[in-house]
Amino acid sequence: MELVTDSHSGAGSRERTGIPFFTQSRGFEQLWPHILENLDRVFDNGKYSHGAQVAELEERLAIYTGARYVVGVNSGTDALVLLLRAAGLRPGDGVVVPAFSFVATASAPALAGGVPQFADIDPVTYAMDAGSMESAVTARSRFAMPAHLFCQMADMVRLESVCSRRGLTMLEDSAEAIGMRLAGIHAGLHGRGGVLSFFPSKTLGALGDAGAVLTDDPAIAELVSALRHHGRGGRTVDNFPGISHETEIVGMNSKMDDIQAAVLLAKLARLDEDIARRGELAAAYSERLSGMAGIVQVPTTASHRSADRSVFYVYLVEVEKRDDLVEFLAGRGIETETYYPTPLPMQPCFANLGYRRGQFPHAEAACARAVALPLYPDLTVDEVDRVCETIAEFYLGSSLRQGAS
Amino acid sequence: MNRELPFFPPDQFGDDDRAELTRLIREIGLDPDQRFILGTFTRQFEELLREQLGAKDVIACSSGTSALTLLLRAMEVGPGDEVIVPAFGCAPLAATVVNLGATPVFADIVEHTMVMDPDEAQRLIGPRTKVLMPAHMFSVMADMPRFAEIARQHGIRLLEDSAVAQGGVLGGRQAGTWGDGGVFSFVQVKTFGTAGEGGAVVTGDAELGTAVRMLRNHGQDGKTRFRHHRIGENSRFDEIQAAFQIHRFPGLAARLERRARIAEYYHSRFAPLASHGVLPPPPGREGRCYYVYCLLARRRNELRDVLAQRGIRTHVYYPKPLPLQRAFRAYAPTGARWPHAEQACARILALPIYPHLTDDDVTYIADAVCEFQEDTNPCNPSRMT
Repeated sequence: MELVTDSHSGAGSRERTGIPFFTQSRGFEQLWPHILENLDRVFDNGKYSHGAQVAELEERLAIYTGARYVVGVNSGTDALVLLLRAAGLRPGDGVVVPAFSFVATASAPALAGGVPQFADIDPVTYAMDAGSMESAVTARSRFAMPAHLFCQMADMVRLESVCSRRGLTMLEDSAEAIGMRLAGIHAGLHGRGGVLSFFPSKTLGALGDAGAVLTDDPAIAELVSALRHHGRGGRTVDNFPGISHETEIVGMNSKMDDIQAAVLLAKLARLDEDIARRGELAAAYSERLSGMAGIVQVPTTASHRSADRSVFYVYLVEVEKRDDLVEFLAGRGIETETYYPTPLPMQPCFANLGYRRGQFPHAEAACARAVALPLYPDLTVDEVDRVCETIAEFYLGSSLRQGAS
Repeated sequence: MNRELPFFPPDQFGDDDRAELTRLIREIGLDPDQRFILGTFTRQFEELLREQLGAKDVIACSSGTSALTLLLRAMEVGPGDEVIVPAFGCAPLAATVVNLGATPVFADIVEHTMVMDPDEAQRLIGPRTKVLMPAHMFSVMADMPRFAEIARQHGIRLLEDSAVAQGGVLGGRQAGTWGDGGVFSFVQVKTFGTAGEGGAVVTGDAELGTAVRMLRNHGQDGKTRFRHHRIGENSRFDEIQAAFQIHRFPGLAARLERRARIAEYYHSRFAPLASHGVLPPPPGREGRCYYVYCLLARRRNELRDVLAQRGIRTHVYYPKPLPLQRAFRAYAPTGARWPHAEQACARILALPIYPHLTDDDVTYIADAVCEFQEDTNPCNPSRMT
C-alpha cells in the first residue's frame, strides 16, 4: 500500500505507475453519489457514532448474512474480544486457534483473559486442521475458534464434530469471510457466533476501522451490545438517552462511526458484484500461474456444491524463493503482502507459551512460501497479466541465470 | 415562547464543517496512498497536539476509554494491582481497571467540586496501589498539584483522566500534562469532539509513549509488519477524523472561550441561588473545563421537570456512584460509603453549555432555573450579552 511515485513526472506528482496491493479509489468514485447521500443522512441526523447509519448497517448485514443479530463495533479485533467475553470466556480458559492467521485470532483470546492453544492448519484451505485441533485440546480448553482465510471456509463439519466430542464451544474468526457460505450458512453462523472486519482492504471495506459480531444467539447479541457501550443495558445504538442506562456489566467502548457505516452501506449494495469480479480476477490469475515454474501452489477451493460459496478476499500463492520474488516485484512497482511471515506460536508475544519450531509443519511451510498478489475489484485483467508476466520473468530469468552458471 | 434546547446539539458542525468534512472524506477515499488509518493526517494531528501541550508524545487512538486502557497497560497494571479511582464518575474509570484484572479502589469526592478528594485517596493507598487515577469532572479539574505530590511521596504512577478537560489550565499547566500520562476523548460531544469516535494519550514519558504506540496497533513496533512484540489492541485513529480535527483545531480556543463565557454568565445568575438549594460550580477560569455545567440542586428532579417543560433538556451524570452500580459492586468493600458521591448523584443536574447556544438561549435557560426559585426570588435578572 506504499505510494509509488513516478520520479520523472515532477515534484508533487501523486500518480501511480505501479500496481498497488490494494486500492478502491475507482469503486469509491463510482459509489460517491450513493455515499454522499448516506453522509448527508449522518449530518442531518447529527449523531456521528453509534447512530442511525450504524443501526441501518446492522439490519442490512443481518439480511445479507442471514444472521439473526449483527452488532456493529469499532474493529474486527474488538468484535472477537467481545464475542469471546459474551460467549462466557473465563480467565485462563483455553481457546484452540490456528497457528497461521492474523495475530488477532490469537491475541483476542488473550485480551479477553483466556489463553490461545495452537493447532496446525490444513495445507490447502490454510484453516485449522481438525486432527491437529483435537490434539491441541487440554483440560483447560473451552472454545475452538477456526479462522476462515483468503478464499474459503475451514472444514466446519469435521471441526464441529471435534467440538461436540470434546465439549468445546465453537466460535468463528470470520473476519475475512463476508459472503462465504457452507451448506448455505454464512460464515460466522456455524457455531455460537462469528465476526466481520471492515478493515479497508477487506471484501467489504470501510475508510477506517470498523467491525461487527454475527450471531443467532439473543443472549450473545445482548451481551456484546452492552459490552461495546460501557456495559450499559438496553438499546443504545441510535438512541442517545440510552447513555443514562445503568452500567450493568464491566464493558468497554467499541462503537462504530456513522461515517464508516455510511460508506459500508453504499459498498454493501454492490458487494455481490464485487465478489463476482474478485472471482473472475482470481480465475485469471490461476489460469496464468498454474504450472508455471516457481509456483508451488495456487488456491484450490475445496468444494463446488451449490450451497457452498467461496469468496476471493485474497489471492494467495505459494512460491519458491518468496522473499526474492517479493523484492523483484516491488522493484517493478508491483506490491504484494506476505500473509503471514511467522506462525503465531513463534511470535514474540506468545513466546511465554513455550511452543517450538517444528510443531506446526503446515503453518511453517505456508509462512515460508505464501505471498498474496493484488486482488480487488478495481484491478484490471491487463494488470493481472502484468503481475503474472513479471512473475514469469523472475522465475525464467533466475532459471536462465542458474542454467548459465 | 417555548424553545427546544437539546442537551447536546445535533447541529454542532455548521455548514462549513459539513462541506469540509465531505471534501476530506472524498479526498481521502480517492488518495493514491489509500491509507485510511494511522497515516499522515494522524501524525500531523498528533504533532499539532504535542506542540500545543508541550508534551513529549501524543498518541491518537480509538477512544478516551481505550486511551485509559493503553496507559494502564503501559504502566504494567494487571492482576493483584490496585488503582485508586473516584467513586463518582464515568464507568471507564473502573471498567478499564477491572478489564485488566486489577482492582479499582474507590475514593470519595469533594462535596462541591465533585472531583476525587486527595485526602480520601491518600488514605486508601496500600502496598498494592500502583496507580492514582483522579478525573476532571464536568467543569472542574481535580487538585492535580496535591495528587502529583501524593503520587511522588508514595512512588506510584499518576494517570490523569483528562478525557473531558481538554483546554483546561491549572497552575499554568494544561489538563492532560499533569500526570505520567493523561488522556483526551474526541467523541462528538466533548470540548474537542470530532465527527465520530477517537481519543489520545498524552505523556511526558517517552517510554510510556513507545509502549502505548506499540499496544495500540497489535504490538507492532511500527517498523516490521506482522511482528508482534506484545499482545496489543486494535485502537487506532482514522485519517478522516484526524483530517477533520486538524481543520477544527484553529477554532477550538474560541469555542472554549465561548463555553467559559456562558459559564461566567450562568454563575452570575446562579450564585445568589446557593443559599436556596441550587449550587453552581465554583466560578473562574483557573482549573476549570466547561464540558458540561453541573448544578447541585436539592430538588433536582423537580428542577429537571420544570426545565423539560420549557424545552430545556438536561442530563443526570450519574444516577449512582460507581461502587454501587451493578457492574462494580463486587469491588465495593462491605459497609463502605461514599457520602459525597451519593449526594452528588441525588443532586446533580447538567445544563447545556455548548458554544453555539445563542445569548438568548443562555438567558432563557438561566431565567428558567431562576424562576424555579421564584418563591424566594434571589435571582439577578440580567441578560447574557
